[in-house]
Amino acid sequence: MIEYKNIHKEYQGVSVINNINFKINNGEFVVLIGPSGCGKTTTLKMLNRLIKIDSGEIYIDNKNIMEVDIENLRRNIGYVIQQIGLFPNMTIEENICVVPKLLKWDKDKCNNRVHELLSMVSMPYEQYAKKYPKELSGGQQQRIGVLRAIAAKPPIILMDEPFGALDPITRDILQDEVKDLQKKLNLTVIFVTHDMDEAIKLADTIIFMDKGDILQIASPEEMLRAPANEIISEFMGKRGNFLDAENMACSDLMRTPVFTIKDDKKTLECIEIMKKRQIDSLIVVDKAGIFQGVVTIESIRSKGKAGEKINSLISKDFPTVLQDDVGKTAFDLLMDKKYDYVIVLTRDNSVVGIITKSSLAKALASVVWGEM
Amino acid sequence: MQYFFSTYGQMLLKAVFTHFYYVLISVSIGFCIALLLGILLSRIPKYSKIIIPIISIFQTIPGIVFIGILFIYIGMVPTTVIIALSIYAIFPILKNTYVGICEVPEPYKEAARGCGMSQFQILTRVELPIALPTIISGLRMSTVYTVSWAVLAAMIGLGGLGEFIYRGVGTNNNILIIAGAIPAAIMAICLGLLIDYVQKLVTPRGLREENSK
Repeated sequence: MIEYKNIHKEYQGVSVINNINFKINNGEFVVLIGPSGCGKTTTLKMLNRLIKIDSGEIYIDNKNIMEVDIENLRRNIGYVIQQIGLFPNMTIEENICVVPKLLKWDKDKCNNRVHELLSMVSMPYEQYAKKYPKELSGGQQQRIGVLRAIAAKPPIILMDEPFGALDPITRDILQDEVKDLQKKLNLTVIFVTHDMDEAIKLADTIIFMDKGDILQIASPEEMLRAPANEIISEFMGKRGNFLDAENMACSDLMRTPVFTIKDDKKTLECIEIMKKRQIDSLIVVDKAGIFQGVVTIESIRSKGKAGEKINSLISKDFPTVLQDDVGKTAFDLLMDKKYDYVIVLTRDNSVVGIITKSSLAKALASVVWGEM
Repeated sequence: MQYFFSTYGQMLLKAVFTHFYYVLISVSIGFCIALLLGILLSRIPKYSKIIIPIISIFQTIPGIVFIGILFIYIGMVPTTVIIALSIYAIFPILKNTYVGICEVPEPYKEAARGCGMSQFQILTRVELPIALPTIISGLRMSTVYTVSWAVLAAMIGLGGLGEFIYRGVGTNNNILIIAGAIPAAIMAICLGLLIDYVQKLVTPRGLREENSK
């Protein structure tokens, strides 16, 4: 177990970490996230003492890390950095074996370990072991970076934005690989990122930091459902509005912008517009944009006369919802009645959007499968 | 020509040998001192920014003046020449060692620290190997310079190819001047090529391309 107790850090009198406390269980995948300058990397690097702690203590399995020999401490904590940092003067094999060699493993043991690790990431030994880092692609290099970190079987791995410089497809593959390795080897991973998608995908627990404070410690689901404050929900972006089906408002389901006509239009003009847009009804507003009702093609045909204004044809009997209404209201209206859409209004009755079956389906799909 | 070689052949061979001997010893000594100093200075970059320019001022003292001064104190012995040449050989190697180590990109050093290497292990396993191509090009520069500076040995009557040059200048004999200058030039070129070859041998494949850029 890792425990941060009252950790504080200043740079030139400016406090960058403000007395933070948290615990990490063995085998837990913890992601530190937050806007840049929030102190997440500083927090990470304190654990292997690359950054000095000003006050407070960190314990690993109840042992204060300041009391452990610094080199031994680091040899027992895997470390992966964004710039990869494979040593260019060493082959892939030598790079992987850096820590085992420091720990004085014998040659056979090192050799076996390299075989085992390379096969874990499907990079055949014969093909890659004797290559140099620059002969590999960025994704392959960072795979080796991860292998170097786990080579000596440390129980804890630190990763500082390890996939930040990779293309999205490679990043996705490596995320899966790291998550698999972590589960298989029961590793405790502390992972720094500023990418919420990455955090949600990988984390058991997300620690959200801002300006040196921890704002929330929660599972991804929990954080998405109930972000502790504005900063977090803003950081998670639109995702927060969409993922919670119960709290979904009508404004989350609607389609915008919406086409409306003024109430002084004449019948033939309306028919033209409907023909052109291939719709059978129009939403009517007055000069101030206040919702008046709906004209349908049937009502114009049966009661309207050519050249007449549409005022008298407007039907007020059409389902509307307020934009803050619970989404289910709109859903029920659409399902129960024969209307093709529901009109969404603001509190002062201006039209902001419409909810159709397809906009509803799209919004619900985003809840089930993520952002569409 | 025939006449030249029968008269001076023996002497020329001896001069080439002496010259080479001065270069070899001085550069070797200079290299060891420079490497050590360069490593030490790279540990204290703050002070090195002041120390290195000061050392480089010494470099501007003309060789003749320096050998002259040493001659007064030490006398007409090869040591005088070797001390002077060694000191001149130090600077290019020292500067390249310092720069080479300081320019090792930070991520490599951070990764090395993160892996749990000690300061000394970081130096020998990461910093020096990565800086090696730069250090060796300093060595090359030093060697080529030293070949030409060694000509000054003759100024205090200690032989080498300079003897031909001085004697040629003194007696207005162009052939003698050329007989000293051409072997010195050939020596400089050959040693330069030799060091290039060594550099290729000791640079790991992973660093080679960067080096040629």
